[in-house]
Amino acid sequence: MTKLSLKSAVAALALMAVAPAVMAADLVVGLRAGPDSIDPHWSTLGSQAEALRHVFDTLVDVDEKLQLKPGLAVSWAAVDDTTWEFKMREGVTFHDGTPFTAEDVKFSIERIPEVTGPMPMTLYTKYVDSVEVVDDYTLRVKTKGMAPSLPNDFTRLFVVPSETGMEAGNEEFNSGEKAIGTGPYTFVSWQPKGDLVLKRNDDYWGGETAWENVTRREIPEDTSRVAALRSGEVDLINYVPASDYLAMKNDGEIDTFVSDSVYILNIAPSVKDEEPQPIKVNGEEVDGNPLQDLRVRKALDLAINRDVLVNVVLEGLGTPANQLMPEGFFGYSPELGKREYDIEQAKELLAEAGYPEGFEIDFTCTNNRVPGDAVVCEALAQMWSRLGLKVNAQALNGTVFFPAAAREEYTMTMSAWGTLTGEAAYTYGALTHTKDAEKGFGNFNRSGYSNPEFDKVFGEGSQTLDPEGRKKLYEQASFIAMEDRALIPTVILQTVWAANADTIDMTPRVDQETRTYAITPVK
Amino acid sequence: MLSYFITRIAQAIVVVFAMSVIVFVGVFAIGNPIDVMIDPGATQAIREKLIAQYGLDQPLVVQYWTFLRNVFAGDLGTSMVYNIPVVDLVFSRFPATLELVAVSVLIAVGVGIPAGLWAGYRPDSIGAKLVMALSVLGFSVPTFWIGMLLIMGFAVELGWLPSGGRGDEATFLGVSSSLFTPDGWSHVIMPAINLSLFKMGLMIRLTRAGMVEAMGTDYVKFARAQGLPDRQIVFRHILRNISIPIVTVLGLELGSTLAFAVVTESVFNWPGVGKLIIDSILQLDRPVMVSYLIMVVILFVLINLVVDLVYARLDPRVRLKGGA
Repeated sequence: MTKLSLKSAVAALALMAVAPAVMAADLVVGLRAGPDSIDPHWSTLGSQAEALRHVFDTLVDVDEKLQLKPGLAVSWAAVDDTTWEFKMREGVTFHDGTPFTAEDVKFSIERIPEVTGPMPMTLYTKYVDSVEVVDDYTLRVKTKGMAPSLPNDFTRLFVVPSETGMEAGNEEFNSGEKAIGTGPYTFVSWQPKGDLVLKRNDDYWGGETAWENVTRREIPEDTSRVAALRSGEVDLINYVPASDYLAMKNDGEIDTFVSDSVYILNIAPSVKDEEPQPIKVNGEEVDGNPLQDLRVRKALDLAINRDVLVNVVLEGLGTPANQLMPEGFFGYSPELGKREYDIEQAKELLAEAGYPEGFEIDFTCTNNRVPGDAVVCEALAQMWSRLGLKVNAQALNGTVFFPAAAREEYTMTMSAWGTLTGEAAYTYGALTHTKDAEKGFGNFNRSGYSNPEFDKVFGEGSQTLDPEGRKKLYEQASFIAMEDRALIPTVILQTVWAANADTIDMTPRVDQETRTYAITPVK
Repeated sequence: MLSYFITRIAQAIVVVFAMSVIVFVGVFAIGNPIDVMIDPGATQAIREKLIAQYGLDQPLVVQYWTFLRNVFAGDLGTSMVYNIPVVDLVFSRFPATLELVAVSVLIAVGVGIPAGLWAGYRPDSIGAKLVMALSVLGFSVPTFWIGMLLIMGFAVELGWLPSGGRGDEATFLGVSSSLFTPDGWSHVIMPAINLSLFKMGLMIRLTRAGMVEAMGTDYVKFARAQGLPDRQIVFRHILRNISIPIVTVLGLELGSTLAFAVVTESVFNWPGVGKLIIDSILQLDRPVMVSYLIMVVILFVLINLVVDLVYARLDPRVRLKGGA
């Protein structure tokens, strides 16, 4: 049969016209995930935003480190406690030639609640009360209460022309009819889970980009994506799996680009009065919840050897984490030191808390959401067994994990969290603030953590417009939550891109986006 | 014959209903798709609003009833992820899977049956033993692994064939297919071989077993005694007699290949329905999962019906029984 397949291969080769060599000005990228729609207001998914940025611009942009920078707005300022004023870029035109004005931004904000899907974009407009067009290049946004993070929210505000019309939906965008933006590329074609084909917009306000034609090809299977690069089918791939990274790094034919990501694997111990899955000592369910004791949580933390996680478990593709955000993010506490590994002290703390023999605990995590989640999960279980615990680690598919986690069925979990807006309100507000539906905080706080002191400091921060003052308060809030071990961060994951050697230049981004217009060929 | 068809169709309807209930209950048990999809930044209020908007706060029975009503109104649902009607979504990907399956079945039959005949005709020859050994490999080695080997060999090392994707399409007589272009063929050949290996192994074994058995029967001995050439005996008489099990298995395999070509489609990044359904399961895209599985059930029923018809053509005894 090998002979036969060889023969058929040769036959096919004979049939096949020699494929035209890829021209230097074209770029084909192999990506793990692509958009779900061409409507930029449909979904908040990261892969969606990443792809649609090529066609549409956002009002505010972010650089490689997630710091704000001008997009379609050149500047913004708070005029009073509940009003933000944005100044628009002048001389920008949409792909169909119509000039861009503040009216288009107003339309885009108002369109979002009408067309968004199950991953709702309304979370980026939740503070917006009303929008007022002052003149063609000035826009005022009235907010519900004080909203210091509005410019951060607007980094995902894609602008479509006001002529789009409220009735236009995914169909009109997917067909290309309404896929008109101000972005660096114009839309050519797209198929769900298939190729997104783009053509350069020569009138782009941000200057010309290097590639005339860009194809963003979706290849979810890791090994297939690597094969596509190695066979020359694509010029660049993202999410290189850790198992291939070392070989590629040592391969002269391939260049790799590595960057910290915003994703951190965090452990969430449930501190409710009664833990959802019982914790046992010698097969007997214990009274109360041991995880409520800070000494127990500290012991769990001290027993984690983060250097081993990074260097051995993740093959070097990570950085030890000491809080829920990477260094440099708005609200990152510089007061918090490096997390130490000290098994002896951990054992002492556990004994002090009344568990000298340890206990038996269930530990649940995802196995397909981010690279490395399952292996880190297993490694943690082993590390804790050195502490004397019996850990029942279970790595589950996200499809099963997330609904059950939302029902708060797990005693201790680990999953990845990324601070996509680059500031603390997004992360600490959702994860460690007391659950408060009215204020919209704590919506992902599934461990039952609640500290009035934290809530007070964080609450003050969210009501402070002055950036310096807010930053100080958020730093303090981060410090409190982390000293409390509300969540235990383990490692910051890194992302790897790979390309054929000496073909392209790129600056990797912490939000893992592959912005092809920011990539240049090697001269 | 008519009552036979009516029974079959009634059976089919029951199966489809049962299937839809099983899928519905199963998906309901996993939990709320919103919890898989929702953005981490969303507030509790946004989450609750969405759950209500998609009717996911309703009890299971009410959700199922709504679904049934929509189906009878001709609406199989809209994908939550893509916001495209499920039928459009599935049929936009169906031609790709069909192409892949057609080519792989052609390979399996075109290679498997002659090889099986040969192996049964001269069971002791070295060639026959080699064929048998390879047939064992065909269904014992994982598809995924062979697929990777093919890619490593022909795409990465030799650079002869593309490592994945579907290639250029062309339209011929109103049908758009990548099988009308050389580029399309270069893309389809490797995944099709990969997908055909299991079926090929099956065809070889079935044909060989039938052949060996037939060679010892009286009618073959008489035919030989009459001096008929072997070629005529094998292709006119034996092949016809042993084709019933082959057609049955081929029919069943065709169905399962169409429905579950997912491994090959993943490895070769083939834009077919198999990949679509796996993605939908991972995202808990409930309308796509339910509707797709129902379509698969219908497909199986149809294929079985066709298989029965072919039987009747091949073996008059079936026709007689069916008519009685």
